[in-house]
Parts: sequence; structure tokens; C-alpha cells
Amino acid sequence: MNPVLIANIVTCVFAFIGCIYGMLRFFRPRKAVYAQMITLAVGCMAFGRLYQVVRLLTIGDIFERFQLGILGVIGSLLFLFSANFGMMDSLADDGSKQYTKYRIIPLAAPAAYIAVYLVFFFFTDSAPLVKIAAGVLTVFVSGAGYFNLKHLIFPDVDFGVIKSLKLYNILALVFGALCMIEMITVSRGNIAAILITGILMGVILLVIAPTVERGIKRWTT
Amino acid sequence: MDNLIYILFICTVAPLFLLLLLLRKRSKLIVGYMLIGIFVSLFVSELNTILLNFFGGDSLYVTTVITPISEEIVKAAPVLFYAMVFSDDRDKLMTIAFATGIGFAMFENMVILLQNIENVTVGLAIVRGFSTALMHGVCTAAVGYGMSFIKKRRKLFYCGTVALLTLASIYHGIFNMLVQSEYKYLGFILPALTYIPVVYYQVNGHKSKSV
Repeated sequence: MNPVLIANIVTCVFAFIGCIYGMLRFFRPRKAVYAQMITLAVGCMAFGRLYQVVRLLTIGDIFERFQLGILGVIGSLLFLFSANFGMMDSLADDGSKQYTKYRIIPLAAPAAYIAVYLVFFFFTDSAPLVKIAAGVLTVFVSGAGYFNLKHLIFPDVDFGVIKSLKLYNILALVFGALCMIEMITVSRGNIAAILITGILMGVILLVIAPTVERGIKRWTT
Repeated sequence: MDNLIYILFICTVAPLFLLLLLLRKRSKLIVGYMLIGIFVSLFVSELNTILLNFFGGDSLYVTTVITPISEEIVKAAPVLFYAMVFSDDRDKLMTIAFATGIGFAMFENMVILLQNIENVTVGLAIVRGFSTALMHGVCTAAVGYGMSFIKKRRKLFYCGTVALLTLASIYHGIFNMLVQSEYKYLGFILPALTYIPVVYYQVNGHKSKSV
């Protein structure tokens, strides 16, 4: 069996389980929109992977031309970005000058992702389409990564909610990094790395909703 | 055949428009958005022809990758307009979004059946009637449902809307791919599998509200 197909199936199944768990837990009245956005991020990834699985089984290719599977990753990162930027950031960061350094340090995350992309762009012989796709992906990974790192280090003095969601932010950061690694490993055709990345992504997508639930519970009790 | 599509459009829209004038409030909104869905479908049928020519007539690639994106964006536009200008009430948004999707699917089915007039059977009509209509309805309703959450916060709105459209486009793409493959029966079941939870949620939501 094609290792890319196996990796996609693993990620898809784990993501669907994580998404269903999140739906059952968070899609109820008076539940945090933040958690709902994260569940949708997992769902987006699940559907993106399902698309790739179906495409591999029916048409047979997913890398030769642009296809919708990559939108699953982008949509997922957009949901993660929206959750942190739109919901959590204003709770912690009131825009005052004393926190300036906590707004600058997280730029390290996008800088690292961009550095990896530049190495990939200039020092590999991948197809132009893959390089463009990786560039687009880098933009979204960077946006989500910035806020994940920011909320990881930000001194949450007023509410304490961000402190209780640190584990989630670590997982989201690792997820972003895995998205980048996957893009590179697939373009290099490294079978073992493709499988490991797929499994790791699946595991993170599986545990992300319970982690958020635990964080919210810790904050409210 | 183009003229026949426009004739079909007039024959469908005219009676519904006359009905619209007699309706009030919620019913007017639903039928109005169904009409918008039909209009959007006519627009998309022209757009898809242009896209097909642009991609060198590769209909499999266009229907599984390009049209899901274009159709979901165009279908969501009227719902987005309603959410931005009138109301972000969840029930209303979901209802008008579903009505837009159903209106869209109704006209799309007519066009496709007309274009394949020699191969049309009752079975095909039943399959398309249920599966495609549900798929379009569910996709747009999902966008409308999500919009009701994200509209409440400006910071969420733009990224959230794009993310929702992404989700709907992927779902649409999966459906289009399945129905053109040897697993087409899975494709026909997929919309029903997602429609049932939507109905359950709606019914339960109304019950808990009335209690």
C-alpha cells in the first residue's frame, strides 16, 4: 500500500475522532467559541485528509497539480489563528507598553518557519508548484505560530485562561511545525518520514480537543 | 442548449417570484433566498463553462478542484451579505443558507438533466434530487451556521469566513470526486450522513428552546 495513502488515512481517522469528540463536548449552548474554533480546525484537517485519501484511491495523484487537500491544512491553520487572535488575544494583551517584549519574542516562531522555507526554496530541486504551495503554507503556519508562541510566554495576570491552555499552545506549535515538515518530506519522497509525520499529526489532532477541554476545566475550577 | 437553460430559468423563477410577493416574513425570506440560489446557479453554470475552457476542458480536474471553490464562494456571498447587513441570528442564517443551497441545487439539477437528456432516468433523478440537493444545502448551511458564531467578533470574521469556505469547498470536492468514481454510492450517501446530524441538531435546538 502507498505510504502516502497510509499516512493520510491515519491522520484522517485520528482527526475525525478528535473532531467528533470536540463536537460532542463543545457544540452546546454556552460553550466557549474558542474551543469550537479549535474543533473546526481539527474537522478541516479531517476533511482535507479525507479528500486526499479519496483522490489517491480514485484519481491517484495528489502532488502533480494543485488540489483541495492542501486547503484542509490552510483552513485548519486559519481556524487556529482565528481562535487565538480573535478570541484569546484580547483577553490577555491589553496593548500596554509593558508587554512589548512579549509581542516581539513570539516573532521567533514565524522567523523559524520562514527560515526553514527559505532553505527549502533555495537548496532543494522540488517542483515549482510544491515550492509555491510550501510558501503559502508558511504564511499560514507563521500566523498561527506567532499567537501560539505568544500565548505560551505571555504573563496572563488578569484572567489566567491563557496559562491553563499552555499545553494546547505547545501542541498547536508542534502541529504547525509538522505541517512544514510534512510538506518537505513529501517533496523529498522520504517514506519513513512521511509515515512518522502523518502519525504524529494524527496523534496531535486526536488529543488537541481533550487538551483544550482540560485547560478550560482547570481555568473554571 | 444555452437558450433552453435561460428558458428553464424564467419558467422556474417567474412563478416563485409571484409567490414571493404574497408571502410574509420568514416564508418570504426562505423563498427569496431560494430564488437567489437559483440565480446564483445560473451565474455559476456560465462561470463553470469559462473555467472549463480555461483549464483545457479537463472536466474531472475542474469539477473536483476548481468548481467546488467557485461554487461555494458564490453561494456563500448572499448569506454573507445577509449576515453583515441584516442579522447574525443563527436560526435565520442557517435557514437562508440552506434555502440558497437548495435553490442552487434545484436549478443545477435541471441544467444537468437537460444536458444529459438522452441518459436521464428516474433513478438518476432520485439520486441527484436527494444527494446533490442535500450536498449543496449542507455546505451552504454549514457556512451560515459558522458565520453566526464568527460574525459576533470582528477579529474572527474574515479569517473565520475563509476557513468556513475552505471546509465547505473540501466537502464539495470530496462529493464531486466520489460520484464520478467507482465509489459513487458512497458519494450519494455522504450528504445524507451529514444531513441527519443537522436535522437532529435543529429539532433538538427547537425542542430545548420551547421547553
